Amino acid sequence: MWTRVINRGPGNIDLFRSQLNRLFNEFDNTYTSFGRQAATPPFTNMYDSGDYFTLQAEVPGLTKEDIQIKIQGNYLEISGNRKAERPEGYKAHRIEQQKTAFTRSFTLPTEVNVNSVTAELEDGILILTLPKAEAAKARQIEIH
Amino acid sequence: MTDNKDITTTKEKLPETRRDIPSITPVVDIFENDEEILLHADMPGVAKKDLTVYIDNGTLDITGTRETLKSGAADWEEFDSVEYRRTFSVPQTIDVEKIDAQLKNGVLKLHLPKSEAAKPRIIEIKKAA
Repeated sequence: MWTRVINRGPGNIDLFRSQLNRLFNEFDNTYTSFGRQAATPPFTNMYDSGDYFTLQAEVPGLTKEDIQIKIQGNYLEISGNRKAERPEGYKAHRIEQQKTAFTRSFTLPTEVNVNSVTAELEDGILILTLPKAEAAKARQIEIH
Repeated sequence: MTDNKDITTTKEKLPETRRDIPSITPVVDIFENDEEILLHADMPGVAKKDLTVYIDNGTLDITGTRETLKSGAADWEEFDSVEYRRTFSVPQTIDVEKIDAQLKNGVLKLHLPKSEAAKPRIIEIKKAA
């Protein structure tokens, strides 16, 4: 009887610890989403890779014809319109998907080279690659 | 003391260790007509190979994982790697053999045809002899 309890001990503690960790993480998540301005969909990620920025946006159900991208200097605007895909002759039981037009605009940290910006749409994620303008790129300074 | 340490060692016995990524519920639209039930689920970023549709005994399980590509320093992050998971109860009258699943632009379209026996039909009234 006792040995069983002892053997079970560490397992239970691990479980407790992992759940506690999860609780803390959830708390952190809630905290940060309260802390910054609440983002409205589509949600985006922005990465700085030195020479270029990468912006990812969640756009499920949108085709490339549904998305417009505007760039001017360091201003970026993404707008789109998800067409309601309501099949004909069907009765709807549940509608949860958002089918509204959206516009999100961003101020990029630096100006970008508009002519070499590329956009890809993959599995419902829009990926923009935005090369920085020459003037904004990091450069090595030689010491004389 | 016994040598039974099953509970503490199971973790190490697992053939592959999985990273603990959060699980979220995909949003769905559900439609129905006389022929089938049609389910649309938003799963942006999930590739075909990372999606599983599992049906057994009246339970439909949809699981898809997506890994976000992180490159360079993050200026901001509003979405992350997640596991989309949702379970539905489906009528036993679904013709499991004919289920059709398509994934396009991050939306899963699942056609669940009703079996012949479950389709509505008009009963002809016979004239009394």
